[in-house]
Amino acid sequence: MYDVRTIREDFPILNREVNGKRIVYLDSTATTQKPRKVIDAIVDYYENYNANVHRSVYKLAAEATDLYENARKNVGDFIGAKQEEIVFTRNTTESLNLLSYTLESSMKKGDRILISEMEHHSNILPWMRLEEKGILLDYAKIDSNGYLDIEDFKKKLKKETRIVSIVHQSNVLGTINPIDELSSLAKENGSIFIVDAAQSVPHMPFRVNENFDYVAFSGHKMLGPLGIGVLYGKRENLENLQPFLRGGEMIKDVDFHKVSFEDSPIKFEAGTPNVEGAVGLSAAIDYLQDLGMDNVRTHEKQLTKYLMLKFADNKNITVYGPNEAEKRGGVVAFNVKNSQLLRKAKNEGIRLDDFIHSHDIASFLDDSNVYVRSGHHCAQPLMRTLKVTGTARASFYVYNDFEDAEILASKLGDIGVQ
Amino acid sequence: MYNDEVMERYQNPRFYGKPGKYNISLEESSTTCGDHIHFYIEIEDGKVKDIGFEGNGCIISMVSSDLFCESARGKTVEEVVGTDPDKYVSEFPVPISPGRLNCALLPLKSFKKVQEKLKK
Ligand SMILES: Cc1ncc(COP(=O)(O)O)c(C=O)c1O
Repeated sequence: MYDVRTIREDFPILNREVNGKRIVYLDSTATTQKPRKVIDAIVDYYENYNANVHRSVYKLAAEATDLYENARKNVGDFIGAKQEEIVFTRNTTESLNLLSYTLESSMKKGDRILISEMEHHSNILPWMRLEEKGILLDYAKIDSNGYLDIEDFKKKLKKETRIVSIVHQSNVLGTINPIDELSSLAKENGSIFIVDAAQSVPHMPFRVNENFDYVAFSGHKMLGPLGIGVLYGKRENLENLQPFLRGGEMIKDVDFHKVSFEDSPIKFEAGTPNVEGAVGLSAAIDYLQDLGMDNVRTHEKQLTKYLMLKFADNKNITVYGPNEAEKRGGVVAFNVKNSQLLRKAKNEGIRLDDFIHSHDIASFLDDSNVYVRSGHHCAQPLMRTLKVTGTARASFYVYNDFEDAEILASKLGDIGVQ
Repeated sequence: MYNDEVMERYQNPRFYGKPGKYNISLEESSTTCGDHIHFYIEIEDGKVKDIGFEGNGCIISMVSSDLFCESARGKTVEEVVGTDPDKYVSEFPVPISPGRLNCALLPLKSFKKVQEKLKK
């Protein structure tokens, strides 16, 4: 049984009160809160095992190395990958930059990269960087319901398209993209297929399939600590890539003018790694597996459906992204119109935005300890497509309940009537 | 949403629009918010003779722009540029949380460019 009450107990921060009232945390898309189990695992690591990994021969170092490598195995098992296919990075952003820098040498002027209009800046800027080399960046369009326009995707998947890099679940629209279908199309075209899974691995069952060349995600968005991220790469891909950063740890042998590199994944982990982070992430994965990823997805879907129904009752609220909770994740971006404000402004010939600014919404909700994100959500091209300067955004995770959604909806109801 | 003074200013800004005469025009955008403010300033003998603004943005940045114009009018450019940001924020009609400082300080940041423009 999935019981939010008991789950909440596992998260110390959710017991915190601000101005004598509980907090309603609705920003897990930005980062998630951490359960006691993860915090304990990190403390346990420092109290009992801390040593540098892969270097020293004494017992403590061997135990620390085991913990680190077992974490790698646990991450691999979680997404259906082999241990040696998991590279630890700092976050999704670093994983995608690693790819941009290491794939660059195999690309030439006139080659193309295909992404979509709903990407996070993390999956835009590493590729835009290559435009300086004469490589062309194409954006597959979204339709008016916030779905990826598959026909446009197909049209833009050209002979020269060397890389296709697509977000699995949008951090704004919530849209879940059909990555199996997209990866088949990309492979038929001979393109490298990359998944930005920052918002999917944490929220739904996720297995890599043979058409995925690389997958990137962040530990901190899935109950793990900050500063640990993952790059999955198919074994033969990783073996053929040149290293990204160079230094300690990632070598087999160094001569004065010659080096041979370690095998992957260590080849991509120059310098002392974030062992604490890997251990914490592994504990987070154990926690999620105890809950069951199917249950996590179902829970979020129910909350999303409920919130969208509540929002539909408020004519001042505009929601972005798909209407069907089935096809979207637990993130709801919205704007609020204040008709009274607008009417008054019109009378006096002053131009005001159609919507109350999202920061004002977030500040207003902050007064009631309801924490939502506001602004462009690191997706400015998407904001341009939607023709807004920003939105407010509420997002759910394992510890949210219907009351959280109810409080949000009713507070927003108060705005319209004042 | 904030308090009456702020909401009243937001709906009835005193300094919205171009003044009859201006010799400096400044545009400022806030990257994190998509706010956009355009100031029009008439400087005479080193003093702000007239000032107005146009643009759109959050309530805090709009009200701040209006209040800023009110306080700048009649002062010397040095005085206005020298405005202490902490003091400015503390005198704002509602408390400004750390996450909203940029919204409130947008006009100050923008006005600093007046000196560069005057040198040209
Ligand atoms: C879809 C998506 N991609 C990439 C990122 C970047 O993640 P990080 O900041 O952990 O690198 C995020 C985080 O907001 C995201 O939502």
